[in-house]
Amino acid sequence: MSEMSAGPAAPHAFVLSPGPHLHVEESTRRIMWWVNGALAPAAIWGVYVFGWNALAGIAASIAGALGAEWLGARMTGRRTTLADGSAFCTGLLLALTLPPRLPAYEAFLGGVFAIALGKMIFGGLGFNLFNPALLGRAFLMASFPLAMTSGWATPRNWFGASLDAVTSATPLAVIKEHGFAAGLAVITSPAGFWNALALGFRPGSIGETSVVLLALGAGALLARRILTLTIPLSVFAGVAIATWHTGVMPIHLMSGGLWLGAFFMATDYVTSPSTVNGQVAFGLLVGLLTGIIRVYGGYPEGICYAILIANAMAPAFDLWFRPRRTAPAGTPS
Amino acid sequence: MPMAHPGGSTHTFGRGGIHPDPHKEATSARGIDDLPAPAEVILPLVQHLGEPSEPCVKKGEVVRRGQKIAEGGATGVPLHATISGRVRPVDKRPHPTQAMAMAFSIAAIPEAEPELEFPEDPTWRARTSDEMLVRIREAGIVGLGGAAFPTWRKLAFAHEAKVDMLVMNGAECEPYLTSDHRLMLADPRAIVEGSLLIARCAGAREVRIGVESDKPDAQAALQKAIAQTPVGDMKVTVVPCLARYPQGAEKQLVAAVTGRNVPARALPTSVGVLVQNVATALAVHDAVRYRRPLLDRVLTVTGPGVREPRNVRAPLGTPLSEIVDFCGGLTADATRMIAGGPMMGRALPRLDVPLIKGMNGLVVLTGKGPLEDGFGPCIRCGRCLDACPLGLEPDQVSVRVEAGRTLDTERYGALDCYECGCCSYVCPSSRPLVQFMQVAKGALRRSADVRAR
Repeated sequence: MSEMSAGPAAPHAFVLSPGPHLHVEESTRRIMWWVNGALAPAAIWGVYVFGWNALAGIAASIAGALGAEWLGARMTGRRTTLADGSAFCTGLLLALTLPPRLPAYEAFLGGVFAIALGKMIFGGLGFNLFNPALLGRAFLMASFPLAMTSGWATPRNWFGASLDAVTSATPLAVIKEHGFAAGLAVITSPAGFWNALALGFRPGSIGETSVVLLALGAGALLARRILTLTIPLSVFAGVAIATWHTGVMPIHLMSGGLWLGAFFMATDYVTSPSTVNGQVAFGLLVGLLTGIIRVYGGYPEGICYAILIANAMAPAFDLWFRPRRTAPAGTPS
Repeated sequence: MPMAHPGGSTHTFGRGGIHPDPHKEATSARGIDDLPAPAEVILPLVQHLGEPSEPCVKKGEVVRRGQKIAEGGATGVPLHATISGRVRPVDKRPHPTQAMAMAFSIAAIPEAEPELEFPEDPTWRARTSDEMLVRIREAGIVGLGGAAFPTWRKLAFAHEAKVDMLVMNGAECEPYLTSDHRLMLADPRAIVEGSLLIARCAGAREVRIGVESDKPDAQAALQKAIAQTPVGDMKVTVVPCLARYPQGAEKQLVAAVTGRNVPARALPTSVGVLVQNVATALAVHDAVRYRRPLLDRVLTVTGPGVREPRNVRAPLGTPLSEIVDFCGGLTADATRMIAGGPMMGRALPRLDVPLIKGMNGLVVLTGKGPLEDGFGPCIRCGRCLDACPLGLEPDQVSVRVEAGRTLDTERYGALDCYECGCCSYVCPSSRPLVQFMQVAKGALRRSADVRAR
């Protein structure tokens, strides 16, 4: 006889929770920390190739995001949500899009803006229309245009040969300014195409330079089914279509900024459509806009604004591409 | 055509669904154990969907097991004594699904006579549809898969709707439960015979028994039983189904086994199909062949909070505390008592309630329930959209209910939901999506009632 089945002595000993009484072993917090973990290799690599400046930028951006989240929760009288990993993720993502030599206080302001005006003002997690990290980046582009477009550093050389961290230009920026041949020269010397674009020994933002490490992180998220390939593949398809005629489509596709955006930003649950067909349309739009901005627009990178524009369309895509439900009797199916 | 699973001949339904950990290993290899007759049974007048049964014995009367003690009325079913003993006055007693409800109780007395005798009807196979309906009704049979709808009424509807196919539900897709599995192994002949009777009673010409592929022994046992049974011109087959929740839900089972799609808010009869649970078929067999009423039922008592999980056959009305004690009692960390399966079952506040006809399991869980730490905002991950077998939008319904726009949910399918729980199961923010659906459904129906007035 167990003590609990003793009957009338403890008639209400059991918990009356509503069903279903089982739950999958996954939570929002766990998802967010997995995303943070998946970004870690690229972030650590960024610090390795670009130095302490990059670490300061990452720390400042995350600190700004966490601070704004804490303050926002306090001001609106809600329980603090720092532990859910979402504000941390925004700060980290923002940092990875920043030039390594951006002053840390600017990165901090970017983190604050991203959370305060990108997320908390809309009502917090789940209610924001735009990707907060990219809003933070757009804010920095508008506020500190010079630092945001010239803070590039030439990376540490693989073989240790001394290369001063001089101001340099990213491959896409060189293509933009000086044409395809000049861009090719940047990435073919000294380390070669794969070394430069895949491993990340090239000028660029902190987290965009190594496609291999970004792919590694994305692979972990795919394996855990936190990500699906629907949006990233649609983005790549869109970029391929829009840059087909330029002759440098492979360079566009191999740019780390695109990988960071396609796998980690365009896939943000809150600001992308939820239905598969909506996600295809959304991804294609992001890719097409990215290509158009890169080829015809004023920026060498286009994915930031492409995603922000597509974010605005996400609710519409959800409305236009709703799941087909089993029809009630008497309605044409 | 039924939808075939790629790579095999198993069948399943179209979209959505989940694959929760089955947790069936504790009881799937254990036979059915008979509970010793309890000293008292509590028999609520409502154990089914329909009007309460009308008492037809006096208090203090001594009754025999199998004797009718309440009439069914126009829409309900009669009730029978499940132990021999003295009838106590009808009184309010704790009920598993209603807080308190009117119930008989019968106390065993030493001088009581044994169970009534139920001799075989020598021409039982030759009974007409109407004769069978009377016997099924008099036996007090309700759907034993959990719904507890009076079986005679369901068969009468099916006959009227001119169904051509009977789908037998042996899917048992709820995690933890194995009672149907063990019944199919223990008495496959009676289940096949009962299915044939149900099919004839309802006017169906074909029987398909859907059994999930995690029970190959049950599939084989039924196949053997079909070969040994004179089926006449009835076509009877076992349809192997992929193990997947909610395959045992009527709409999903019909899609898996027949390839026919039941429209939203409609019953399987609208596509010519009647669905019955295998345990119900067994009871129908006993009712038509022996005129034996429904006196016991088999349930799985399991979960991490039970010391010795078992499949138990117990008289209806047995207090659950006694059944739990028969299974070694509860562990010290048992927190939640679920009547039925853990997906669609309901939590019980107490154990001094009786076993009723629709209760196919008692799953005792430990630890906190999904909602005990509250829930978070919708992060629009879309997992509920992928999980819903009907293509509904639980996310949209939930945010509208939260925002007070409850009547703005019909277009997202609130009225179509039958509460299988897949959406809540997958939600990473632990949102009570089923309950949001219930709130929306209730409000929509009330507003429709108001408009109709």
